[in-house]
Amino acid sequence: MKKIRILKPVLVSNQQRARENRGVFDRMNSLVINIIASPGAGKTSFIKYLVNVMKKTCKILVVEGDIKGQIDSKSISRLGVDVIQINTATECHLDAFMTAQVLPKIKKNYDLILVENIGNLVCPAEFEIGEDFKLAILSTPEGDDKPLKYPLLFHLAKVIVINKRDLLPYVDFRPDEAIKNIQKENPKAVIFEVSAKTGEGFEEVFRYIHKELNARKKKSKR
Amino acid sequence: MHEFSVTKSLVDLCNQEAVRNDMKEVRIINLKVGRFTGFSPDSIRFYFEHLKTNTRCATASIVFEEVPIKIKCCDCHKHSTIDEPILLCPYCGSNAIDLISGREFSVASIEGE
Repeated sequence: MKKIRILKPVLVSNQQRARENRGVFDRMNSLVINIIASPGAGKTSFIKYLVNVMKKTCKILVVEGDIKGQIDSKSISRLGVDVIQINTATECHLDAFMTAQVLPKIKKNYDLILVENIGNLVCPAEFEIGEDFKLAILSTPEGDDKPLKYPLLFHLAKVIVINKRDLLPYVDFRPDEAIKNIQKENPKAVIFEVSAKTGEGFEEVFRYIHKELNARKKKSKR
Repeated sequence: MHEFSVTKSLVDLCNQEAVRNDMKEVRIINLKVGRFTGFSPDSIRFYFEHLKTNTRCATASIVFEEVPIKIKCCDCHKHSTIDEPILLCPYCGSNAIDLISGREFSVASIEGE
């Protein structure tokens, strides 16, 4: 019996495809944000709030990942931005290959591409899709301990949004504790506290994304 | 749940490597799985039994090597191995940590004829 050293990551083909996607997004000069949260955390509401304001100053595409149906993509397209739906059928996450299928459907250059991943705190964290960064959303009814229970996502996400601040009087969520728990996994995380219902806290999110958009434009000019 | 697609990638990778290295039959896949990944060996084994058929891995089994989470503290510069992925230095409590290992999910080697 012979032994052959391989030393390759199992997801090498996904990583390779993600790099190729990244190349396409770079040529389009698009900032791509991979939005990950559990079902019902408010991914779509967050996107809608963002889109409604930011569509005035930049060209936005939303890529909607869902196991089934087009409920979210229909409601987002009513805001007057382009939406592309990916239905994964059985898969619990988007990967680089599913994302690649979207590329031929992109007919113009967008400044900002928001990818709404499948509602899940576990699987989407493992698969790169060619994004600039991951944005995780944690909503107050889920509890302030979630960063410790789902450490990988909160470790990998550059931006973490605590959503549904408007529900704080009704749930046992301690924002300070949540932030402390996030920082145990990811001391460098950029953290925002918002309500996609009332709009509280979004000014800082807009400012941050504008800063990232400018940084991306500068990068492509180099 | 995501182990299905992950195991498919594993079988594809090992099959390709077997073809490339002229190995007709893979018997053992030595797989490194870091403790700071979300992959369950039991699920991978379950899907592997189904996915390996009609490939060069059809008679193979997987040997899992768990890779511990090792960190280095940027403040006190001490190295430590931690059980849970809470990235705090056990010596000084700092969260300025470099992750040294634990995120591995790779095929170390294949064995066969």
